[in-house]
Amino acid sequence: MPPSPLVYYKGIQMSKYLIKRILHGLVSVVIVVMAVMLLIYSAIDKSKIFMQDPLIQKKAANDKIVYRYQCWEEYGYLTYITYADWLNEITEKGELDPATRDEAVKFGKTAAEDTPLSAEYVKKFTDYYENQGYTVERLDVVLQSNKAVAKGGAQKLFAYKNVPIFVRMFKYFTGIVRFDNKRYAEGPLEGERGLTFTWHDPAYGGEKFSPAVMGNGTKYRYLIYFDDHFPYFHQNLITINLGKSYTINKGIDVWDTMIQPQGSIVKKQTIYPTGFVEDSANDMHTLTYSAGSRDLGGPFTQTRYTDDYTIAVNEKNGLSKMGYSFIIGILSSIIAYLLGIPLGLLMSRYQDKLFDKIGTLYIIFIMAVPSLAYIFMFRAIGIAAGWPITFDGTPQAYILPIISLALPSIGGLMKWSRRYMIDQKNADYVKFARSGGLSEGEIFRKHILKNAMIIIVQGIPGTVLFSLVGAIITERVYTVPGTGGMLVNAVTAFDNSAIVGVALFYALLSVTSLILGDVLMATVDPRISFTSKGR
Amino acid sequence: MTNNDTVDIKDLGMSEEELFAHYDNNLYESERVTAPRYSYWKSVFRIFFKKKINIIILLFLALIIVFAYIYPVVTGYAANPEVAYNQNAYDNTSRHLLPTDAIQRFGFSLSWILGTGDVGQPTFDALWYGSSISISLAFMCAVINMVIGIILGAIWGFSKKVDIIMMEVFNIVGNIPYILIISVFIQILSPSFWTLVFAMTATGWLGVAFFIRTQVVVIRDREYNLASRCLGTPILRLTMKNILPFMTSVIVTLAATEIPSYISYEVYLSYIGIGISDMTLGKIIEQTQSFMAVPQWGFEYWSPIIMSSIITVILYVVGQNLGDASDPKTHM
Repeated sequence: MPPSPLVYYKGIQMSKYLIKRILHGLVSVVIVVMAVMLLIYSAIDKSKIFMQDPLIQKKAANDKIVYRYQCWEEYGYLTYITYADWLNEITEKGELDPATRDEAVKFGKTAAEDTPLSAEYVKKFTDYYENQGYTVERLDVVLQSNKAVAKGGAQKLFAYKNVPIFVRMFKYFTGIVRFDNKRYAEGPLEGERGLTFTWHDPAYGGEKFSPAVMGNGTKYRYLIYFDDHFPYFHQNLITINLGKSYTINKGIDVWDTMIQPQGSIVKKQTIYPTGFVEDSANDMHTLTYSAGSRDLGGPFTQTRYTDDYTIAVNEKNGLSKMGYSFIIGILSSIIAYLLGIPLGLLMSRYQDKLFDKIGTLYIIFIMAVPSLAYIFMFRAIGIAAGWPITFDGTPQAYILPIISLALPSIGGLMKWSRRYMIDQKNADYVKFARSGGLSEGEIFRKHILKNAMIIIVQGIPGTVLFSLVGAIITERVYTVPGTGGMLVNAVTAFDNSAIVGVALFYALLSVTSLILGDVLMATVDPRISFTSKGR
Repeated sequence: MTNNDTVDIKDLGMSEEELFAHYDNNLYESERVTAPRYSYWKSVFRIFFKKKINIIILLFLALIIVFAYIYPVVTGYAANPEVAYNQNAYDNTSRHLLPTDAIQRFGFSLSWILGTGDVGQPTFDALWYGSSISISLAFMCAVINMVIGIILGAIWGFSKKVDIIMMEVFNIVGNIPYILIISVFIQILSPSFWTLVFAMTATGWLGVAFFIRTQVVVIRDREYNLASRCLGTPILRLTMKNILPFMTSVIVTLAATEIPSYISYEVYLSYIGIGISDMTLGKIIEQTQSFMAVPQWGFEYWSPIIMSSIITVILYVVGQNLGDASDPKTHM
């Protein structure tokens, strides 16, 4: 029987409502990220990002100052250009011939020591950038006592301009989703730019049937491919950039940090683009472009690669941060739901009996005691039971983190389902059912339980999605390499772009789980309608 | 139809004043009900003390407060934690002592019943001093959050215009990780007691306000409030007299969970390294966790964990039971 027009109408209303909710959610996420950016970029001093940077300790004098500006540029704080870069730029434009450039670039150790030619170009450089609102800085040479140039003390000349916060926000949002295209590679290329489709992936020797889309001129060599890792189908066409991390995983995007496999490398037979075969951990499917890298790499690279697509990610045996957190989170949630709800129901069934009292004691313990305290207690029990307390990826190592996460959720679910059941026990519809002669068991199963499930169901998408972000304390106590510590690590290390990235990820998850929760609730309970306005 | 049943007023021979007297609108009289005298708080405490267990728990609470706030002052630990026991501090032989060894060495005194810490300080005193800071912190945060949250939550619940704006604010601020807000404040200002109070309450009140708002929305349009509004009761009076008393038990229960939850949160913040400079309970736990590996030092490691658990459980239970007792439905 075809569905009635009313069903169609309801469907349209529902999707309209959902689109509205999704758009509203996205706007909220954007505002959240803007608020976070405003908070951290205006409140936290930008020099704090170097607090945990080991590289800056090795730099001295002028090199150190320049290094700071380079980092600030890389992380979007300011635009920075050196005198030499500017000279190269105008030479490329044809305003300067290379010979003059080579002379002009040698500016003096101090302004007084400039040759007339370099003085002229230094002045041009200064005027050009100061007119554009840049600050031009000239660092004189730093000399040792014996008049030799000190380590890192060579003279520097550069211009910089702070990037306004709103420009940063705009750049951030426009850069979150990046589509790979054939104009990505800036340097010289072998062959034509464009995408090619093949039925036989060359990474498997070109014989095996395995479709793939490969690019030339794109950032990634393989845009679409299949391999033997879950989920078997992979794409590099669309990449997500949440923000480059400074300390957690230097220079790597937050998103990649979360999803890249960890652990020790796995070597297996690898067929390189030249046909060279070797046992290696390099994953040919992850090749990315790096201008001039084939020549720079020398014979080693040249025997393996045919062009500048030479940067490969190593295959590793561990899961990603998100993978570990998700497995622990999802298993503990399943255990919590399977145990917490029945226990809560039993408590309400035997209200004020011994079982209820023991359960209440447990709930008080979980609600009141600091989570850190009971995690340590579970850990002590785990040590006594002989389970591993430091995470090494073996199945036994999962036991304690899962228990530590499940036991508090069990307490929460017990508390909630008991409360709800007791409230419903005296509801009119239950009294009516009782007067109609239904047994307590029937009332429980057919009436109260169904109503209680509606609200429980709403929380499920949130539980599943928030398994992805991990649990901060549990992961720290058991040294699980999960996502839980990322925000805290970023915050304590002033890794500002990582903070923004993680905050965006959290906000997206929470908006999504709310919407999914409502949809699921409406699916379970036909009385709930998205179309009628509440309140 | 006859007019025999009715009496003409003029026939009664009474003056106009005798018949109709002007009666002033008296707010107090209008609210008075002819019922036996009922004092709300008296009933609350009657119900509360009816359970013997509550008296015991209250005694424990009193003990905690005395030990946290008076004991460290009496022993002098609060005045100067660094040098109060200077004769033992920095002496290798007095560090990390088990209770029995400490008592043997220094003679019996309450201070030594939990042994000594890593610089020879008495663990017992250090714990109580830390507890006093933690409890004060939690109490300040709870009071500020509750006051701001209740006032703004009531307004939020009443005004539909405010509701639209505040829901957006709540959605946005609620999605900014709490740890981030706290740590940014601590970075900008200093890792001190009042900074942490400020950081935890800067957005913490929103949760309380949202909770109150939901409660207000539920009872705002009940018949008795509708009737009250029809009789011209001003909004402020309506809130204070009709709605807030209705929510007393909810508010007491909420306040009761706030204090232990802030103690727990402080422990959590200290553990992840966003703590304050004072030696709070959380800080002590954070510093002693490395002692876990050493078997003889287990006492130092477990003491703050057990102590924080006991304090939070007692505060929680007192609050829950007070909340139950303050529910007028139990006053029958």
